[in-house]
Amino acid sequence: MMVRQIRSWVLRLAGLFNNERRDRELAEELEAHLQMHIDDNLRSGMTREEARRDAHIKLGSVDGTKEKVRDQRGFPFILNLIRNFRHSLRMMRRSPAFTAVAVITLALGIGATTAIFSVVYATLFESLPYPKAEQLVMVWSQSSQGRRPVSSGDYLEWKRRSRSFQHLEAWGGATFNVATADRPEQVQAALMTSDFFRMTGMPMWLGRDFLPEEGEVGKDRVVIMTHRLWSQHFGADQGIIGRQIRMNGESYTVIGVTPPGMRDRQHSQLMLPLAFKPEQVSHQARSFLVMGRLKDGVSLEQANAEMQTIARQLAEEFPQTNANWAASVEPLQNNFIPEKTIKNLWLLLGAVGFLLLIACVNIANLLLARATTRHREVAIRAALGATRAELFAQFLIESLVLAALGGALGVFLGRVIIDGILAILPLQMLPSEADVRISIPVLLVTLLATTFAGLLFGCAPAWQSSRLGLNEVLKQGGRTGSGGEGGGLRRALVVVEFALALTLLAGGGLALRSFWNLTSLDLGVNTRNVLTFSLPIPQSRFKETERISPYYRQLLERVESVPGVEVATVTTGLPLRGTGLRRPFRISGMPPADPGGQQSAGFQMVTPGYFETFGIRLIKGRTFTEHDTADGARVAMINETLANQYFSGTDPLTQRIVVNQPIPGAAQGGTEVECQIVGVFHNTRGGDGLRGSDSPVIYVPFWQSPWPRASIAVRSAGDPELITRNLAAAVNSVDPDTPLAGVRTMDQMLSETLSFDRFGTVLYGSFAVLALLLAAIGIYGVMAFGVAQRTQEFGIRMALGAGGGEILRLVLREGVSLAVLGLLFGLGGAYLVGRAMQSNLYGVSALDLPAFIVVGVVLLATALVACYFPARRASRVDPMVALRAE
Amino acid sequence: MSDTSDVWRGTLAIMVLKTLEVMGALHGYGIARRIEQTSGDLLSINYGTLYPALLKLEQEGFVACEWGHSENNRKAKYYKLTRAGRKRLEKEEREWEQTISILARFLLPEEKLS
Repeated sequence: MMVRQIRSWVLRLAGLFNNERRDRELAEELEAHLQMHIDDNLRSGMTREEARRDAHIKLGSVDGTKEKVRDQRGFPFILNLIRNFRHSLRMMRRSPAFTAVAVITLALGIGATTAIFSVVYATLFESLPYPKAEQLVMVWSQSSQGRRPVSSGDYLEWKRRSRSFQHLEAWGGATFNVATADRPEQVQAALMTSDFFRMTGMPMWLGRDFLPEEGEVGKDRVVIMTHRLWSQHFGADQGIIGRQIRMNGESYTVIGVTPPGMRDRQHSQLMLPLAFKPEQVSHQARSFLVMGRLKDGVSLEQANAEMQTIARQLAEEFPQTNANWAASVEPLQNNFIPEKTIKNLWLLLGAVGFLLLIACVNIANLLLARATTRHREVAIRAALGATRAELFAQFLIESLVLAALGGALGVFLGRVIIDGILAILPLQMLPSEADVRISIPVLLVTLLATTFAGLLFGCAPAWQSSRLGLNEVLKQGGRTGSGGEGGGLRRALVVVEFALALTLLAGGGLALRSFWNLTSLDLGVNTRNVLTFSLPIPQSRFKETERISPYYRQLLERVESVPGVEVATVTTGLPLRGTGLRRPFRISGMPPADPGGQQSAGFQMVTPGYFETFGIRLIKGRTFTEHDTADGARVAMINETLANQYFSGTDPLTQRIVVNQPIPGAAQGGTEVECQIVGVFHNTRGGDGLRGSDSPVIYVPFWQSPWPRASIAVRSAGDPELITRNLAAAVNSVDPDTPLAGVRTMDQMLSETLSFDRFGTVLYGSFAVLALLLAAIGIYGVMAFGVAQRTQEFGIRMALGAGGGEILRLVLREGVSLAVLGLLFGLGGAYLVGRAMQSNLYGVSALDLPAFIVVGVVLLATALVACYFPARRASRVDPMVALRAE
Repeated sequence: MSDTSDVWRGTLAIMVLKTLEVMGALHGYGIARRIEQTSGDLLSINYGTLYPALLKLEQEGFVACEWGHSENNRKAKYYKLTRAGRKRLEKEEREWEQTISILARFLLPEEKLS
């Protein structure tokens, strides 16, 4: 039976084609039938006329039969579909303006959704671009404070004792000064144990990966570079493999280049083998990251259990360093994405979903309005025998065709939006594996969203039209009614739309206000015309502390003599970035404020020009001078917070402070130095995207406490970037080997500091603007249509004495009351959005009334403007024309 | 006889198959006349019913057709039963008898059954 069914379908499918011949044959067959009948009738004695008549009556409608045979021949369902599809295209061609608005509206919604979803998909769902990626795990040291990097001693013990892993590899960070074609360049590098690339299974673009023996001390002078570094600084030279390059003054052989893509998105652009010298192995310094590949068939739980056992053994064997330290094995996927980023991604997806919903509501509204003008068409089709299901299907197909067009344009728009997002995406916000693009799964979701959208906005007019009272419509003749029940549905949709729009606008408003709060913060510094850079001086450079000060004095002199430089400074920390060091201190002659804990403060060494360079305001006393040298009395300056916290009753300038100062070149320990407080300065902002709270800070003169690694900052008369080259030349005249690292103006640094906030603000802001636009189109469409339909009513009102002003107010009142109703519903949504966004906001509460009032007013004003044009048209109706027209 | 009734459509197919079994190859008009005569003119067949049914039987492979000439030398399409059609008819007959005998137990007075 199955076979017969299939055979029958195949024949019927074939029946969709070559219909002309079949029609001709059918006509012949029916003609023969008729003739035979007539022949028989003649034989039974009828006249020719009677015979014909009888045969025709008996056999019924020839055309009806043909129609039925045709249905049986092909699939009436498919034929209908094709017919409806053609009809839809015809309808679209006939109203290009409507089609354009609907398609663009939908394309905006679909495009934004596709773009944000592609970010979410690439970040959270797409499997990592490694073979058997599910076997890759991160192994962390665990203390009571959470996960931590791993010490070299622990890593080597783990690798020796564990049985769960095919590979267990470690890597750490380093910085190298690389001699490139034009000038020395500072590059971040990763030092990785030699099997790292074999573990991940990442192939090389050029050359080869590390050999196992290159992980031994003495054989490790080889380097792999990323595609990005290779093309930016080595001219994408194919012959680079085997070449020697100079890094930190020593010679390394280039053995490989990684493929473009993932590695290029990481900070470290060089990869070198990590070789542990026996004297470097310690259980103390936890600075390495450890990744492993599980053996086939070993589960995460088994690996975790084994690592717990090993961690317990180590805790017993090395109680000094490893007591209370455990270990954990975690999947690599999503291991480096902070909870907050994941939450933010979902929030963005939610916001963009709202946008799509608004777009759908909008199109539903437009379609509903247009369907009203097609009541007569529908009624006539119904009268000619179209069933309700057929009418429903026709309207649905029209929406799906519209949706398909919008979806196609939306995918295109999505690509544009993705490019925009990637341009403002803060570096390192997403894991480097995340390759944001329109992939097949993204396309599938877009297709799904499009279909869903088409069904969603198609159902309303389809449902409405399929249950039209046939008789009423036809009886009405040409008379258009006053809206009818469809008008109610349309108004409800406008209310929904405004509620959704307010929710999105509130999100945008909150993000904007938070960003405004951040940018209008008093940073305590003047960021204009200040350029900073650091000097990555190798650890081994200054064996004797005495050589540090002369080196920097000479540098500073040369830098200050560069034309355009007004003032310059050497400092160990930078405003916005933080002090860099944190040291314990106490106040002479006073017990520690908190006897149990140790009080500490941010600690920074600066030369006298620091305050003038950054425009930091002095509150009390004096700044450092050229007399505060190693020979002079020890002095210090403190910030406002420290002064307020510790010297509320006394004058700080009369006090002395004891600071534990670090020893240059030594990893630990320090010397206690007692300093006279000579000045109090205004707080400066730093850290955590400007959200950091004001904490105590101590400055001491750089010349009294020299430090090998420092930054230099200059204030220039004009745009400081113009003199970068001269500054580099000045530095190189003193020290030809050291590059300028991290060259930034303070304005750039400020902009980088705010990049996360800017990203969110731009996205939420654009969604809000789009939502506003769509809501405006929506309410305009409904009001304009309503006015057009009620021309006659307005004519009567005016004929009865209503003035133009009254009509204007009548229409405006209707439109605005819809908007207000929507706003009231939207307030609830806005509050929820505020709650969800709370952790991203600065200085804004979830229920931020000023922001809500502003967006409410903006929405209302938009509604007013959108309603004004139809209202004016209504008020200018000429009663005579309106009444005569019908 | 209602056009759209699936019951009649189903039985019409059986009547067509039986007619072709008895009469051999036959054209559409002949099939219609034969069915009307057999039914004692209780049934009246029109195109709208007959030709879609014939097409369906053809698609299912129960009848085959070819163009031929009638006794009056008119060009006409002749339908004849295929082997599958014959089998189908036998099956239908068996099922029909079974249905009848079951229904009879319900509908006929009990004493007549003995």
